[in-house]
Amino acid sequence: MAERLLTVKGLSTHFFTHAGVVKAVNGVSFTLDRGETIGIVGESGSGKTVAAMSLMRLIPDPPGKVVEGSLMLRDRDLRTISDAEMRHVRGNDIAMIFQDPMTSLNPVMKVGKQIAEAIMLHQDKGKAEAWQMAADLLARVGIPDADKRVDQYPFEFSGGMRQRAMIAMAISCNPDVLIADEPTTALDVTIQAQIIDVVREMQAQYDSGVILITHDLGVIAEMSDKVMVMYGGRTVEYGPVDEIFYNPHHPYTWGLLASLPRLDETEKSRLTPIKGQPPNLITLPPGCPFTPRCPYRRAQCRDIWPKLEVVGPEHGVHCWIPVGERVAIRAGLPHFKEPAV
Amino acid sequence: MPDWDEPTREDRDVYGSSWVTAPEDVDARRADEVVEEVLEEQTKPLGLWADTWRRLKRNRLALVGLGIIIVFIVIGTTEAVFYQMHWHVRASDEAVRSGAPGYLAPYDPNQVNYDLSPEGLGSPPSWQHPFGTDFLGRDILSRTLVATRVAMLVGIIAVAIALTLGLILGPISGYYGGVVDSIIMRAADIFFAFPYILFVLLIMSVLGQGFQNVFIAIGVLGWATFARVVRGQILSVKSMEYVEAARAQGATDMRIIFRHVLPNSMAPVYVAVAMAIGGAIATEAALSYLGIGIQPPNSSWGLMISDAVNYLAGGNWWWLLFPSIALVTTVFGFISFGNGLRDATDPKLKE
Amino acid sequence: MIAYIIRRLLQLVIVLFGVTLITFGMLKLVPGDPAVALAGKGASPEKIASVRHERGLDRPFYVQYYKYVERLLHGDLGESLYSSRPVGEMIREAAPVTIQLAVAAVLIELLGIPLGVYSALRQYTFWDTALTTGALILWGIPVFVLGYFAMYIFGLKLDWLPIGGVGPTVLGIIPSTPASWSTLVLPALTLGLIEVAYISYMQRASMLEVSRSDFIRTARAKGLTERKVVWGHGFKNAVIPVMTIAGIDLGVLIGGAIITETVFNRPGIGLMIYQAINSRDTAVIAGGVLFATFFFVFANLLVDLGYAWVDPRVRLED
Repeated sequence: MAERLLTVKGLSTHFFTHAGVVKAVNGVSFTLDRGETIGIVGESGSGKTVAAMSLMRLIPDPPGKVVEGSLMLRDRDLRTISDAEMRHVRGNDIAMIFQDPMTSLNPVMKVGKQIAEAIMLHQDKGKAEAWQMAADLLARVGIPDADKRVDQYPFEFSGGMRQRAMIAMAISCNPDVLIADEPTTALDVTIQAQIIDVVREMQAQYDSGVILITHDLGVIAEMSDKVMVMYGGRTVEYGPVDEIFYNPHHPYTWGLLASLPRLDETEKSRLTPIKGQPPNLITLPPGCPFTPRCPYRRAQCRDIWPKLEVVGPEHGVHCWIPVGERVAIRAGLPHFKEPAV
Repeated sequence: MPDWDEPTREDRDVYGSSWVTAPEDVDARRADEVVEEVLEEQTKPLGLWADTWRRLKRNRLALVGLGIIIVFIVIGTTEAVFYQMHWHVRASDEAVRSGAPGYLAPYDPNQVNYDLSPEGLGSPPSWQHPFGTDFLGRDILSRTLVATRVAMLVGIIAVAIALTLGLILGPISGYYGGVVDSIIMRAADIFFAFPYILFVLLIMSVLGQGFQNVFIAIGVLGWATFARVVRGQILSVKSMEYVEAARAQGATDMRIIFRHVLPNSMAPVYVAVAMAIGGAIATEAALSYLGIGIQPPNSSWGLMISDAVNYLAGGNWWWLLFPSIALVTTVFGFISFGNGLRDATDPKLKE
Repeated sequence: MIAYIIRRLLQLVIVLFGVTLITFGMLKLVPGDPAVALAGKGASPEKIASVRHERGLDRPFYVQYYKYVERLLHGDLGESLYSSRPVGEMIREAAPVTIQLAVAAVLIELLGIPLGVYSALRQYTFWDTALTTGALILWGIPVFVLGYFAMYIFGLKLDWLPIGGVGPTVLGIIPSTPASWSTLVLPALTLGLIEVAYISYMQRASMLEVSRSDFIRTARAKGLTERKVVWGHGFKNAVIPVMTIAGIDLGVLIGGAIITETVFNRPGIGLMIYQAINSRDTAVIAGGVLFATFFFVFANLLVDLGYAWVDPRVRLED
């Protein structure tokens, strides 16, 4: 069995604002092994990014705080190590690719320096050597003329190239865990596929564990080994990618899958958006946050958070609908008459 | 089986019934944005102004500024309405003359010889004259209060002139672009090239000193600031969909500018107005101090300061202090409020 | 960069054209016939007409303007109507006094940058609140008010520093004796403090805005120390817009220097203009304003080129 890199248990991150406590993440747990990719999927505001930022300890405090849970990087507790140790973890053990490559690079610093900076910091390399490594990394993520590009500023790069540079920066210190936060959302469709390929190649090359945060189930299907579906700061369903796509058990997961275009259907195919609005994170109910939008809700849904129910190999769901009834409802939905995707 | 535990946290928090109204694009990409979106969603039914007010309310300096502005406007307008008839009566009324409590300004500001020291230098603050008297024995408190009206008038009228010019030239420049835009903006560049106070001096030296000329000089020179702000706003909303939609429906240019573009781009203009009023008041004071602004026997803080400094070596500190405090407080009020308003309306600075 | 410089110089030409046109127009608009004034008291109509012709005052407006610019290029700013001295000569004498004060104030002004950074890094602490409040109050104080209070307290009451005048200098503007330095202290601090307040407020706002940007988060995610995040990534991005603001604010500073001179009785351009106002000497006023404007325009150009050099987005643009 592959080396276990990350063990997250019961992570809760809240923001304490004058308007109230924003419960962005509530009791999220997952694990990540070497070479594995976990996809965290959910709509905006579901807490997926805040969960990842909590791992990096990059939640602005105040107002944010990890209020509960344990975050273990192998045998190190990321919640208790010192700030200096945490800085060593950042970039070195856990690296992150951000959503918007246009704003995530320093506009007045050469791209090469931005990469070399991390190398010099974590690998004890001299300036010339780090600079050369930066050029090599740029070449490796598929930037032509890397020797010249390393001397340029971000504004001289296109969006796709900037994201490649971000990836080069993230992998520069061979991190064990790579967090990719919506790495393709801000890019053109044609560039998206290329960036996904680069991330996959880099993962294969360095054997990292990847946390892929996205609302795009297509990207999840392409890259992930397992999937965590989040809603309103909670995990509603968790399991291997095939289980989530072919045997989804949570009504929210159904909604997500139903909103995905299918190539195998003809004109009668119709995207079904999920009705209703994302939840207000300040006034979350103690039970299932999806209740107000759930067409199948029960009396207790809103007030009591359901226990984890095992529904398949490594596959769990939090839902009050009895499993038999759930399968029956799903079978009646137009989208699930045949296997999805 | 994934090895994750049941969340240990027993969430039993009170929840409201209105928890399904967040905007579609809530994005947890940045933690502070989550906070902001939630805040925004809460104020949605209240609209933009309530939102601005809520943010402004948290900025103590801005609130102090607003309080100062209100107080000085009240003083200015109260005096404007009441002082003539009251003092007219009072000047001949022995009871008032001897210092009985009366209106906001306890004495006729131009009445001399209320209280003169033996050296003829005015007297320091006392119960009868809380701010003291000047070299003619005039009551400084009354003069300071009356000068409030002058300051407010200059601030508001001069800025109204500048704003009107800016609201004419800015939209033309921003909406039509091209050659017209170039000409207007190059003209603005030229106006910005002068050190402001010197340009005012130059204009005043041509127009000649006097009350109206102060309004005109400050007002006419202020157009460039407003034209730039309005133009920038117009450019930023011009290509937005609702403007396109209005155009597609055949709305006239004027209608588009005044019905659709301007109302959606006024926030920075309000900020500029607040700052400009503070600036105009300071400029008037500087002009009056230099002797080419408000002329005696009218009262102006700048004029009082100018009179006071000639007697500074004699130790008449009160004469300098009180009009200075009034001037500095007023200007601070407008700048502080303007800054707060900018922070509260700037989308980049949200939270 | 070259394209930027060319564009900036073109803009400069337009601005200078506009500025001279306005100044010239002002001189024309002054009530009273200059020919009458030049011809002297009680001159005959023939004499006035001949003076008018001699001076080209009967030529069309644009010819007169052309002649005016031509004279300006030769350093001829006309004569004082009051003392009959050439205005150019008066300016040459007065300018070093003003420049000395302006340079001293700019040097003090730069302190606003570290103060603003400090304030931003300690947002919402006592010192931040104190600095921000202080900055807002100082920013709104008219320079002559602050000047007279400084003069009253430190010059008249405590008698620590001279209340006015200037002393000998080397290289035109550097004070050469302790007494000469001491005359500079009060005016420079008066003017400088107001500018420090403004710049520190702007620097704080800029620093806070940058601290919220994505690339700062990227820098933190790399594991950089907070010091490297702030100074290596934040500071440069935050100081570029402040430099622009400072460049524009030079106009306020020069205007402030002019007024400060009237407070501390420093025989610079400001005092010259002040005295000219009292004697209605329009040629001197216009000359002084023109000089100060040119000074501002060129100083602003230097600042702009400076920040263009610092900002690669402008430097490498073609």
